[in-house]
Amino acid sequence: MSDTVATAPRRNSSGFTVARIVFDWGPPALTFVIVAVLWQLVAINNPYVLPTLDAIGNSLASDPGMYWANLLVTCQEVVIGAGAGIICGFLLAVAMSELPIVEKAVMPLIVVIMVTPVVAIAPALVVAFGFGMLPKYIVTGLVVFFPMLVNSLAGLRDVDQKALDVFKTLHASRWEIFRDLRLPGCMPFVFAGLRIAMPLAVVGAAVAEFVAAGQQAGLGSLVTIAAAQANLPVTWASIALLCLLGVLLVSLLALLRKRLLWWSDEDVIGR
Amino acid sequence: MPAVSHLQSTRTAYPDDIGVEVSNVTKSFGGDESRVTVLNGVSLTIKKGEFVSLIGPSGCGKSTLLKLVAGLSEANGGSVSINGKSVREAAKDKAIGLVPQSPALLPWRTILDNVSLPISINPGANAGRKLRDPREILQSFGLGHALDRYPAQLSGGMQQRAAIARAFVFDPEILLMDEPFSALDEMNRDQQRMGLLDFWQSNRKSVLFVTHSVPEAIILSDRIVLMASHPGRIAEIIDVDLPRPRNEALYATDAFRDLEGYVRSALRKVMEAARV
Ligand SMILES: Nc1ncnc2c1ncn2[C@@H]1O[C@H](COP(=O)(O)OP(=O)(O)O)[C@@H](O)[C@H]1O
Ligand SMILES: [Mg+2]
Repeated sequence: MSDTVATAPRRNSSGFTVARIVFDWGPPALTFVIVAVLWQLVAINNPYVLPTLDAIGNSLASDPGMYWANLLVTCQEVVIGAGAGIICGFLLAVAMSELPIVEKAVMPLIVVIMVTPVVAIAPALVVAFGFGMLPKYIVTGLVVFFPMLVNSLAGLRDVDQKALDVFKTLHASRWEIFRDLRLPGCMPFVFAGLRIAMPLAVVGAAVAEFVAAGQQAGLGSLVTIAAAQANLPVTWASIALLCLLGVLLVSLLALLRKRLLWWSDEDVIGR
Repeated sequence: MPAVSHLQSTRTAYPDDIGVEVSNVTKSFGGDESRVTVLNGVSLTIKKGEFVSLIGPSGCGKSTLLKLVAGLSEANGGSVSINGKSVREAAKDKAIGLVPQSPALLPWRTILDNVSLPISINPGANAGRKLRDPREILQSFGLGHALDRYPAQLSGGMQQRAAIARAFVFDPEILLMDEPFSALDEMNRDQQRMGLLDFWQSNRKSVLFVTHSVPEAIILSDRIVLMASHPGRIAEIIDVDLPRPRNEALYATDAFRDLEGYVRSALRKVMEAARV
């Protein structure tokens, strides 16, 4: 038996050359520079449309504690709200894939809720639950719930039929099939769901704060209040932090995916 | 474990000599109007330690028959038994090893963990059987160096070999293989074929082996079951009276060539009959 490994990892000999770095980072860096220059041009000529980048920077530098406190509140909403939404969405997907009766029972309701704009539910939730954190958790949770549910369900269903046949001939229990086949097999879909859910979670938290700005904390609240006062540097500094939060979440997710799901990337080994 | 070396000489079957018994099985698909009979009155016996190949035109119901024996689908009529028990009972006892057409390894498990899987599944059925050491069996399939590799890191041939090792590791009474080498190129296919032959000749089990290759059927089998289609049925059962143990040298013998000619013409007749 002389056959060798089909796809050995190929060493990337030019990995750290200057040319490589310029090639990889040059184009996106250039895009950012162009956007920044255009931004400055607009801002300098129209001070009531956009604040200059240095004004935004100064605002952040002058009161970092205030921004940090608001960032933490929004983070808390994302972690608790989205965390709960992710767990609930995944668990319901498991229940639906294992018990057809559950799917039959809840699918129509889910379709109805899914087409309801969460933004429209938010004020109603504030009326119901007050200006505390609870309505914000609920809105954030609702926003991530559906992409998680839909993707997890698709993943649990997308089981390798031939592998399932092997499990069945071994008389595997449903639990064994779930534990060893469906659950690990659905993870690429779960991560696809998370990839959609993470940016949405930030949107959800910000929207919840817009409507329930009563607590006056969180970056979304800050945006609303500063905009009402026509304070453009604070408005845009808060927006920038929301953006940063989204980027951070997506990057963390990509990192986690790389560690856990490398096996699902076709090209990962051969490249 | 009963001795199996006498099987070539004695074809008179005592009941406990029988591994798989398919009797008068019928299988159809579809509703009332679009109902298609895929298998009609199929009867077949596989003795313990016997290697039986199924060959026939594509779509004649080979995979359907294999699935019935595997307990993956139910016959509409007739019965299937394994070691005198129902297929369901046999599956409970982990008596069936399946090698699907694609390796169907779990991409998130190493080769070693893939091959160990059948031991950890349904562990209640492990009592009193002689499980094999997954490392040893991978070694004997020439995959000793690949224990900690993942399926995607191996060639198609090596993956299929791991899938076969996975089917042998828990020492099932009967092995079912559905064109396990069909996705491989010819060179590779012959190598895998010989690997299976070697392993099986020193670990005789009942095997039902679906193939579309005449030489493959001959070199591996004790008997070749030729199927005809529309509806799927057994056209002819051909004994392969070639000495064992066998190896590549057999391909070049006159006996092999004669039998190959015979099987090919029988297959051709079946295909022509279907065309009319
Ligand atoms: N689940 C199914 N539903 C309907 N028809 C099927 C199903 N499985 C197989 N068939 C039909 O049964 C026939 C035999 O299929 P199969 O056993 O796969 O053939 P083979 O393996 O000999 O090529 C084919 O005509 C196929 O279309
Ligand atoms: Mg087939």
